[in-house]
Parts: sequence; structure tokens; C-alpha cells
Amino acid sequence: MPLIDMPDFSTDLLAEFAARRTERVNTPVIQPAEPFLDMAGEDLRRRIFLTESETGANLCLRPEFTIPVCLRHIETATGTPKRYSYLGEVFRQRREGSHEFYQAGIEDLGDKDIASSDARAIGDATGILKALLPGRKLALTLGDQAVFEAVVKALGLPFGWQRRLIHAFGDMAHLEALLERLARPQPVAGLDPQIAGLIASDSEADLVAHIDRTMQETGYSTNASRSPVEIARRLKEKLELAETRLDGTALLLLREFLTLQLPLAEAPAALAGFADAAGLKLGAAVSRFDARLAALANAGADLSAMTYRAAFGRPLDYYTGLVFEVTEAGSSAVLAGGGRFDRLLTLLGAKEHIPAVGFSLWLDRIEAARASR
Amino acid sequence: MSTITIALPSKGRIKEDTAGVFERAGLAISAVGNDRSYRGRIEGIDGVEIAYLSASEIARELASGTVDFGVTGEDLVREGMAGADGRVEFCARLGFGHADVVVAVPEIWLDVETMADLGDVAADFRARHGRRLAIATKYWRLTQQFFSSQHGIQLYRIVESLGATEGAPAAGQADIIVDITSTGSTLRANHLKILSDGVILKSEACLVRARKPAHEQDPRVARIVEAVRAAL
Repeated sequence: MPLIDMPDFSTDLLAEFAARRTERVNTPVIQPAEPFLDMAGEDLRRRIFLTESETGANLCLRPEFTIPVCLRHIETATGTPKRYSYLGEVFRQRREGSHEFYQAGIEDLGDKDIASSDARAIGDATGILKALLPGRKLALTLGDQAVFEAVVKALGLPFGWQRRLIHAFGDMAHLEALLERLARPQPVAGLDPQIAGLIASDSEADLVAHIDRTMQETGYSTNASRSPVEIARRLKEKLELAETRLDGTALLLLREFLTLQLPLAEAPAALAGFADAAGLKLGAAVSRFDARLAALANAGADLSAMTYRAAFGRPLDYYTGLVFEVTEAGSSAVLAGGGRFDRLLTLLGAKEHIPAVGFSLWLDRIEAARASR
Repeated sequence: MSTITIALPSKGRIKEDTAGVFERAGLAISAVGNDRSYRGRIEGIDGVEIAYLSASEIARELASGTVDFGVTGEDLVREGMAGADGRVEFCARLGFGHADVVVAVPEIWLDVETMADLGDVAADFRARHGRRLAIATKYWRLTQQFFSSQHGIQLYRIVESLGATEGAPAAGQADIIVDITSTGSTLRANHLKILSDGVILKSEACLVRARKPAHEQDPRVARIVEAVRAAL
């Protein structure tokens, strides 16, 4: 049922999806809000349209397609691999542009060949954009969370610090604040002497017993989310992490890595050079990066239009590897954005691990780009 | 000349304190009709009307621009609208109705003293407990700005709480709270502690003006602001 306000290139787009062997799916416009807020965080709340059902359930107007498509996949239990495509309206509170606009995209679920499915997602996104914007020069920026994770691990930081840095990847301000703390560690001050004594005596059991007793006395036991053991262990870890100092060289290396930005084709050599010079073993992450690049080259992708930016990521815990954005060369308007989200399906309740990669196309911006010439 | 409307709190301590400031400012308010009327006017200035409303309604009316001035808590104004400083002007801080909007966690969370600690806990909360860290609050906008923009903490859920928020963690409705406190005694009674960098806003009652182009040429607007400032 074509809606009259659909972009005029919708038919071409659907033909592209069909030619790329995808199964077109639709999802209800009105969606339960919980999965979106749970996955993307409360920051999303002010950017979506929320309402309530008669029974008090939180509902929202579909703000994007990835989560509904994945939920639908889990519910229908149709098995993998699956290649879904979608085209429909999404609803967001935006300062600029309309609150309702069309998005389309492909979600590739369950393909175990990571390199080739990454390359296919990039190839599909750029191929479709080229078909819709013939003759235009496109620019693609690529990031890879796995490479950052490998750098952080290779620096030999304690696990707790690795977790902090990885969690902040993609949020430069937050990352900078963490690096600052690593450069100038502040020992934990003001710890209660009794607690400090329990920690100094190195008896976890005594500390746990103390916490447990206090929780019983204050009525915090019945509904406690964090157990005495969890609190005791994290307190100990925190004290250790507070002492961690990253020496100047290592800090410099991390910062140097984060400023890497170069043509994608030169990235493997640059990463290998960086690892050598830094004396870091980046192993599997870099070989996977190279395998993806090889798969892109095999598929005939135009590597000259692609840039690798080491700091490019999304600070959400379900993104695991590749992220990419496509713009017109010289423009900042993102026409397509995508990435690998291997953790999303299990977070949404899938029983088995389902690797996933996908992208969405911003049809209103594509429409504007088509009209601009 | 159009009417200037000033919305003042309709009850409680804040009503009396506001009346005190206006009196000292030489802006004597007289009730329209009987003493219990919710309308009033300022003696000696034509075309200025007083509307008595609840403190949260005043914030809402300022946001929609249906009143010109309002006296209410800064917390309610900032919670009630996005980009508050572009839409209203905080003309004067009145020195009463002090309340801090704070992040408070169970005292027994010995490992959590700062927002950074809370960020660590929130990051792997789901892996440990099968759900996100839950925050009970009625201040979802202030919470979201403070956590997401200022501290880079994205992964938590807000549980709306319109009263007795301090009881939510012990009752299991949420893990931590964001709420107002003036002396901290209710927090202590509920075995909660404020994080060392967990003060989101130091709020007090303010004279707030809805930004309207017509105000610039209006001598009554300048006179009201100056009079109130001079009385502090």
C-alpha cells in the first residue's frame, strides 16, 4: 500500500532490496517503549514520542527499525541466517527537520562470516546510495570498536580500567576524562576507618559479613539489587584501580591511536606500524580488520572513498565491531549509517548468539540531496 | 498596553515568603474580591495582575508563556522545559525555598562515592542483574542531562516517582534516587547518602521572567525586576 507521501524513489529502493535478496518486513508503528529505552538508554526519552496504554504500559512511536526487526525475528523464530529489509516511517523529536520521516535499511542476522557480511553491509549501503544519487561522490567513514579494545588490552591495564575505557569508546569527552584520571591517579580518601581496617586485614568474608549485617539492620536486605559480596569486591577493585597509573608513554600511545584518521586502504599498514612502534600485540582484531578490507576489495568496493577513523564508535554496549557512516563528499549530512551489533539479539532475549550487521538510510536527507541538483 | 501577569505560589511557606519580598519591594498586593481569591493586583501599577497558582503550574505557565513573571523553584523551571535559559530569565534569586536536587545511593554502597563510581556500577549492572540500574525520580529531565551529558552515563532507567522517593531503594522499586533535599535528614533516615559530586542543582525560589519581545519596551517589566532586586 504505497502512501502518497513516500519518497518518489521508493520503488527503485524496493527493487534494490529485492535484488539484494532480502526479505521485506514491516513492524507496527506503535511499539513498546521499554526495549528502546533499555538498549539506547534514557537519553532517547526526550527524542522519541512516548505515550501510555490504558493499562499503563509505556508505548512509543517507532523511532527506528533495528530493534523492532530484531524483536520480530526472535518472536517468529524463523532461524538464521536471514536478511531483512524495511522501509517505513520513523518518529523522532528533532530540532531540525520533520518529526516523522522515512527510513529504510537492511539487517543481516546470523551470518557467521563476519568479514564478508561486514563488507556486504557496506557494499549494500554504498551501492544503493549510488543508484539513488547517480554521479555523486560519496564519502564513507569507518570505525572499529574491536581494534580499540585490542589496543586497550595490549596496554596491560587492569581489567576494570579496560572495561571503563571500552565502555566510553565513541564518547570523546568521557574518554578524555578517563585518560586524565589515568594520568593523575587520586587515591580514594575518606574511607571509614572500620571498613579500611577490614580491607587491610584482607578478609573478604569479614567485610561481606559487615555489609550484610548493616543491610539487615537498615532494612536494605529484602530488596537489595547489589549483594554484600558484589559491594565488597567492587570496593576492593576500586581501591586497586585508583592506584593505577598509566605511564606517559602509554598515555601518549593511546592518544596517538585515537587521532588516527587515514584512507582505509592505508589503515592496515598504519595499524601494523603503530603496533610495532608501540610494542603492542593487536593480533586477532587487526587480522579481522584486514580480512574485512580484503572482502571489501574483493567485492569491488571503491576504497579510495573510504576513511578509517580510529576514534569513531558508538558508546552503546551492543555495538561490537564495525561502524560506518556515508555522506556526500564534502557534506556532513549522514545519508546512511550502520554497524555490527552482535550483542543486541541476546540482550533482546534471543536464546542463542546471533551475529548481526546492518545499516539504515535517511530517506529525507537522500531526497534533499537528490533535489539539490 | 497589555496586562502583565505575575504568577505567585498559592499556598504554604513559599507564599508567605513571596508576599514578604513583594512588600519590601514596595509592590503591595491587594486581593481582587475577597481574601481567598486567587487573583490580585499590584497597587500603584496599572495593568499588572497577580495569579495565584501551584508552584509546578507556575513553571508550566512560564514555559508556555501564558504568564509574564512567576515566582517558583529553579528546579521546577529547569525540569519543566528544555533549554530553560533561552526561554526564561532568572531575574532574582529570592533567598528562600532552598533545596538541592541530588543523586543519592544506599549508604551501604561503600564502593560508590562519586558519579564515576556510579558509572562503573551502571556499566555492568545489566550483566549482573539482568536489568539496567533503576533511578527513582520526578526529575527525569535534570537526571538525564546530568547523567548523560555531564557524566557520560547512558545505561540506566528512570522509574517515575511522584512521592516518598527516598523509600524507593529499600522498597526495591529502584536502586538509587534523584530528589530534592534541604537538610538531608530524610535521606539519612532512609539510609541514603549524597554522592560527593552528586549535586545536580542548588535550587531556590526565583523571580522568573518568560522571555517575550514585548517586555523590552515595557517600563512596568523593568520596574518590577528592579524593585524585587532592591528588596533582597
